Amino acid sequence: MIRVIPFLLYLWLAAAHQVFLGDITSIAGAVINLPALLVLLVSLYKSELDTCWFAFFIGMVAYIGYGDATGWYILLMAAIGFGTYHVRVRINLESVYSRLVVVFIGVLVHNAVVMATAGGDGSFAILLVRVLSGAVYTSVVAWLFFLVKEGKITYQKLRAIF
Amino acid sequence: MSWFTNLFAKHSRNIHLGLIVIFSAGFIAAPAAVMPPVRQVIVSVFHFPFAHLKSSIAELRDEAAENDRLRRLLTQSSMTIAMYEEAVRENVRLRSVLGFEPPPGYELLPAEVISLAGDFTPIYAVIDKGASDSVLVDQPVINQQGLIGRVSSVSQDYATIQLLTDPSNRVAARLARSREVGIVKFTSSRGMILDNLPVQGTVAPGDTVLSSGLGGVYPPGLKVGTVVEVRRPDLEPFCEITIDPAVNFYSIDEIFILKTGAR
Repeated sequence: MIRVIPFLLYLWLAAAHQVFLGDITSIAGAVINLPALLVLLVSLYKSELDTCWFAFFIGMVAYIGYGDATGWYILLMAAIGFGTYHVRVRINLESVYSRLVVVFIGVLVHNAVVMATAGGDGSFAILLVRVLSGAVYTSVVAWLFFLVKEGKITYQKLRAIF
Repeated sequence: MSWFTNLFAKHSRNIHLGLIVIFSAGFIAAPAAVMPPVRQVIVSVFHFPFAHLKSSIAELRDEAAENDRLRRLLTQSSMTIAMYEEAVRENVRLRSVLGFEPPPGYELLPAEVISLAGDFTPIYAVIDKGASDSVLVDQPVINQQGLIGRVSSVSQDYATIQLLTDPSNRVAARLARSREVGIVKFTSSRGMILDNLPVQGTVAPGDTVLSSGLGGVYPPGLKVGTVVEVRRPDLEPFCEITIDPAVNFYSIDEIFILKTGAR
């Protein structure tokens, strides 16, 4: 049961992002794709089944308001988690940048599919810019996460700067 | 039962993946049946707390803005009330001035005191009327309470009043009851006094002191003050009479210059 708690916290984080954090953290229309990022990070560090179930539930939490398309988005999220997990076990992703590339591609694919199906009536160029800017922004957040996780950014180092 | 356990253990991964696909397919195939209860649980467990938090923060922000607006309004209202209170005070003063008649042969020129000068007691006042309003030196100055003093100097738009509290100022005075005459002056030690009144006189506390008109500066009949104390010292020819001035020289505001032009 205890091992479920972090996943529950991730789900609440995704819900908070859907409700108000997404608006607060958006920069010039670029929004962090936190549900996809969380699924990709889980797929890089956890088991296959953990990844797939987490992707399933976070898909429900993030896309429950999308009506008939909810099921497809849940399946898409699970597929991205599943695929990323298998990329991770087949390819050497030791370096931060290789993981960053995986995260960028995963978010880009997810953004592209979601924007293409539910992106509204914007032109292709606008959708492309939103997909790309969202993927880049999310990758930057992932990069900071990897730096913290690798110990390259620490509280002591930050204090030493100031 | 064991074969089922074995089967589950052997194909656990596939069963889990299959369940995920089946559940997702359930959302896709029958959203009307599956979605409402799931949505209710998801929204109430995950979304509602943050939606509530968001609305609370928005309400707090609105409250802060409302608070700020009300503070400004309160400040403005306080200023307005202070202005109204001052207007009410002015209204009361001006009502008391209404109907105030000048002595025969004089006309009233209203003026406002701009500043008062003096160390402990005001002895000079600057008013907002000057030569451009036909103000001349030595014109008497009064208000509805009584005699204030005389114009001592005039510039184009301002004039200076020498008040009765200036020790160098003298007023020829007369007791209203006994018609005895004397000189009113102000001393720093005894305040306003009536001098030059013989000890044989009938002056008593409560007598009204008026200007006598002698000396030519002040017209007769202007109230100067009221006798509060009379002492008749031995071996002295004159009484020592203390007067309570008719005018409160610390709070003079609207005054009138007696212009002799109509005489």
